[in-house]
Amino acid sequence: MINGRSGVAEISRADSDMLHVRIAAEVKDYDPADHFEKDPLIYDRFCQFALICARQAIEDSGIDFQKDGLFEETATIIASGVGGWTTIDEAFMRMFKNGRARAHPLTVPRMMISAAASQVTMNFGLRGPAFCVSSACSSGSHAIGEAYWMIRTGRARAAVTGGSEAEISVISQRAWESVRVLARDACRPFSKNRQGMVIAEGAGVIILERLEDALARRAKIYAEICGYGLSADAGDIVVPDQKGAEKAMRTALQSAGMAPEEVSYINAHGTGTQINDAVETAAIRSIFGNHAASLKVSSTKSMHGHALGAAGSLEIVAALKAIETGILPPTINYTEPDPKCDLDYVPNEAQEQPVTGVLSNSLAFGGLNAVIALRKFD
Amino acid sequence: MTDEEIEEKIRDIFEKEGKIDRSSLDKDTVLEDLNIASLDMVQILFGIEETFDVYVPQDDENFRLGTMQDVLDGVRKLMKERADS
Repeated sequence: MINGRSGVAEISRADSDMLHVRIAAEVKDYDPADHFEKDPLIYDRFCQFALICARQAIEDSGIDFQKDGLFEETATIIASGVGGWTTIDEAFMRMFKNGRARAHPLTVPRMMISAAASQVTMNFGLRGPAFCVSSACSSGSHAIGEAYWMIRTGRARAAVTGGSEAEISVISQRAWESVRVLARDACRPFSKNRQGMVIAEGAGVIILERLEDALARRAKIYAEICGYGLSADAGDIVVPDQKGAEKAMRTALQSAGMAPEEVSYINAHGTGTQINDAVETAAIRSIFGNHAASLKVSSTKSMHGHALGAAGSLEIVAALKAIETGILPPTINYTEPDPKCDLDYVPNEAQEQPVTGVLSNSLAFGGLNAVIALRKFD
Repeated sequence: MTDEEIEEKIRDIFEKEGKIDRSSLDKDTVLEDLNIASLDMVQILFGIEETFDVYVPQDDENFRLGTMQDVLDGVRKLMKERADS
């Protein structure tokens, strides 16, 4: 992402002759056999992504769940917007189109939206609180926020948490087309010529643990998650509301004990639709006042697309890397300033800058908002 | 289908999907003035696609959403394109 490379390309997982919008950000060159010793068919694609990312995060963290019975007190909260959509697609095809009399017995274990949470607990022997969170495009952020609260309130000592999505198919793509929020050639957040979002797939999973435990085992600490704000617009099922976005940011700052001036970077929801980017900009201006002019705000969806239930978790990973490296990921495809979007969006090229306080915004369809506050840990 | 028939069908769609009183719709009506909710608008466009068996492109200069006359012109254009293809 710091090189401003886009993962958006022509769709390969759906017959593009049946689509009007033919681009998406797919996981490319992916063969499940490279990642799973046992038959991966027991897992839907979204579940496979969650398992691969959980494994990577656990290995990277060096955490030992066997030590002191940590596995009994580790939460597993894995989000998804729609779960095993392509499994359901295949089941419908099998019976309605191909005239088969029976549904495959793995249909239910694959399609359950909670399958990824279950399979992560099973694969890593985690026996603490575990469930799936689903709140459309905020799912990944809600999962990480809930895991953070569990640790902060003493209900868990550690957590494996994030979001996963893999819903690219003719049906889902045509359904998104009908809502008229898809861009035809590129996602251009905050740029005046933006046309909408680009659907993506993928997963982001991180490991959270109590600070004292992380310090005791000399863990590599990417950042401190220090606040979590939530709100509901209680407005429109598709149109975002500025007040809802403001409340989520404000409560995230409050729960973090963070002054607005401490925030130097916001990973925006920034879908690239006309309405989201203007409303989110107005909400940021309202919360940050004069400090908004000093803020860096970028939408990494310009590169990884909108991975729906995984979006928030992918963006929190981007925020963690920004804190770690001091390099802000850019908003690519930014070509035309919009008077309604008048912040510094880190246009087109990454910028080097020490990053201290960060917000990661998720403002979902249906007005379910989640904002995570992070701080550099010294 | 005559222009009058097309126009009547478009009025039907606006009435059903947009909850708009058809008597308030004439060719000069500016769509923005109708304050149609976003989700109702996409349902109107879906209704047009289903009724006339066309694809209404997004943000396309050939299908403007300025006035009712623009919608009528856009539908005619799309129907002609479909007939020619």
